[in-house]
This record gives sequence, structure tokens and C-alpha cells, in this order.
Amino acid sequence: MNLIEVYIQEVTRRLPEKNREDIALELRSTIEDMLPEDYGEEDVKAALEKLGSPISLAAGYSDRPMHLIGPRYFDIYVTLLKMILPIAAVISVISMIAQYFIGYGGNEAALNVALSLMGQGIWTVIEVSVQVFFWLTVVFAVIERTDQGKDQQPLTPSLKKWTPEDLKNISYVPEKKAISKCQVFGSLMWTAIWATLYFYADHLVGIYKGGRDGLEFLAATFNQEVLLRYWPIVVMVIGFEIALSLYQLIKGQWTKRMALSNTALQLMATIVFIVILINPNVLSAEFVTYMADLFTITANEFRTWIVGGGIFIFLLSAAINVWEGFRKARI
Amino acid sequence: MSQLLNSLTTELRRGTLTLAVLSQLRTPQYGYSLVQLLEGSGIAIDQSTLYPLLRRLEKQELVSSSWDTSESRPRKYYVLSEYGLEIFLQLKKEWIANSKELYSLLKGEEEDELN
Repeated sequence: MNLIEVYIQEVTRRLPEKNREDIALELRSTIEDMLPEDYGEEDVKAALEKLGSPISLAAGYSDRPMHLIGPRYFDIYVTLLKMILPIAAVISVISMIAQYFIGYGGNEAALNVALSLMGQGIWTVIEVSVQVFFWLTVVFAVIERTDQGKDQQPLTPSLKKWTPEDLKNISYVPEKKAISKCQVFGSLMWTAIWATLYFYADHLVGIYKGGRDGLEFLAATFNQEVLLRYWPIVVMVIGFEIALSLYQLIKGQWTKRMALSNTALQLMATIVFIVILINPNVLSAEFVTYMADLFTITANEFRTWIVGGGIFIFLLSAAINVWEGFRKARI
Repeated sequence: MSQLLNSLTTELRRGTLTLAVLSQLRTPQYGYSLVQLLEGSGIAIDQSTLYPLLRRLEKQELVSSSWDTSESRPRKYYVLSEYGLEIFLQLKKEWIANSKELYSLLKGEEEDELN
């Protein structure tokens, strides 16, 4: 086996076609120059050792970068990825849920529906994330290879070179005052969850019992009919909550005005909650009887406990929420 | 520790290789003769960077090349172009000024050590 020829082949097969012949010729003559008059395999090995790995030699000859995305584009690539990934994931999950309910017959137990939706949701998020990641990476790898500007300076998100003027577009936000995107998504998610629970309470909220065919729905907690009488005001609270979340997303930090709007929202939500809960017919009779039996107290005692405890917890969390808002706005 | 030192040393040398190569190309040289010239002056070079470097210099039009097929073994000769000479002289000036500054910087530090 001719080591020299194999070595040259190992280098040139990694190079563009048009340069191969010339580089092969030069390499061969160089290697022969390095060898003594009467050489053996050991001499060849020593010479090739000096030239080093054919991969790095080929990389030296080739103008193509040995990375997918270099320092010039890396920052903007990561920024875009972080922006697009959650948006794509949320949109795909929402459209998946919508599609599911279009074909929904209404026969399945609600919790089983929720579980299968969750499974499908996780799968959809993974699928969409992989797609977004793949295509964005491909696009940037292509840009990296076609961009003729050999300047290694990182680009700003506006695809221009950084100047001090760019700083004017960034508002200075102290860490403690900041509202992260995570928090905003979290509160939007929370709104979506409780709104779903409200409108599907007769299918979702209640007593479950483990059976042979998965979970069995025994009794609903609320009288859906009574609950739904309040829908216009509940929809208003939902709208208010979404609006505040979007406002937080845009502002990115707590302000006095935001803390005031938050207070108004909490006040409104608390009043609505109390009004609904003190309606004597809102809790279903089956639920109350079942629970009262469970704790061996009378139905009225149980009702008082639920209403009192519910109102207390709601008031407490609303108060903490309001106070936090003002505290962060004042920093 | 020694690995870090190694990589720092390589980094220091990397920039000087171009200058060293340009300085030897006033007369035509082929790859291996250039290696011998540089090694004769005590300059350690990594051959796997030298050969690609010569091609890059050619692409940047700092050197021109020609194949000599008159001997038994064909050799590719490289020589400084006019533009290459101009660039080389400027680089050389830059390097000498730089090393003077660095030298006085290091010299001052040495004196501090003695005091």
C-alpha cells in the first residue's frame, strides 16, 4: 500500500474539484522533497507525521468554514431561536387543541381527554421545535457560507454592525423589576387553564374515582347552569387578564400604572369570585353530599367551609399579588 | 498548565508566520526549500499550516507561482509579487515598531521586578 498516495487522496477528496490536481501534484513533490534519497516506510511515516492530519491540512486549503454558524451570526441566531421556538410551540398546541375539539363527540370522560391532549401536546411541541431548530440552522448555515463580508464582528439583530446608537433602543431594566417572558407566558397559561376549567367545569371539575377503564367521573363540583349565568363578567375578567399580560410583555418591567391596573384586576376578579361562590346553588348537591359524608359533617357545615376557605385563600393570594406589584414598581 | 502555555504560544506565533514566509519569498522558493530556510533561521513552523498559507497568499495576490518541470521532480515555485513586496515592507515596519513597544513594556516590567 502506498502511504503517500493514500495520504494525498485523503487530503484532496475533501477539497473542491478544481483545486485537487494542483494541490495533489504540489503535495507529492513536497513529500518527496522531505524524504531521503533511499527511503523506507519509516521515512514516509515520519514525513507524513510532520504534515499532520489530512483533515486539518485539507481544512487549511479549503476556504470553507469548519463550523456551521460562526461568531458573526451566532448571537442573532440564538436570539431568533429563542423568539421563534416558544411562539411556534404555543401556536401549534393551540391549533392542535382546536382541531381536536372540532372532531370531539363529547362521549369521553373529560380527564381522559385532557390526558390524551397533553400527550399529543408534548409530541406536537417536540415535533415543531425540531422543525424550527432544523430550518433556522439550515438557513443560517447557508448565510454563513454565502456571505462575502469576511468581517468577524458579530451582527446586531438589525443585521448591521454595532454602533453606540444601538444602545438607545434598549431600555435599562433592573433585574428585580423585570418581568420575564417566562412569567408572562406563565400567567397567560394560567388564564387559559382556569378559563377552560370554568367553561367545562361539568366535565372537568369534580370527584374522580380510579376504575378499570381509566378514571371515572363520579360527580361534578359545580352546577354548570348556575356557573354559566355569570359568563359575561367572567369573559371580561379573562379579557382584562390577557390585556394585562400583553401590557407586561411589551413594557418588560413593573411600573406604578401597571401595579394600579393589576390592583383593579385583582379587585374585580375577587368580587366576581365571591359573588359566584356565595350563590347557594353553585355547588352541586351530589358533590356536597358526597364530601360531607366523606368528612362526616353536615352538608351546611361543609358548604360554609368551602365558601369561607375559598374566599379566604382567594383574598390572600390577591392581596399578595397586589402588594408584589407595588413593591416591584417602587424599586 | 503546559497545554495552556502551548496554545498561547501557538497563538503568538500564528501571526508571525505570514511575515516570516513573505520575508523569504523575495527569491523564488518551493515549499520544502522554504521550510528549510525558515528552520535554518530557527523558526519553528507547522508544515500543515505553511502549505495552505502559500496558496492563500497566492489567492490574495501577494505572491505568484509557477511550475518548474525542467527537473526530474516538478516543483511549484512561489515569489513575491509587486503588491506583495509593498505589503511585506509595511508589515515589517509595523512588526518592528510593535516589537519595540512590547520590548520596552517587558523591559520596564523586568526592572520593576528587580527593584
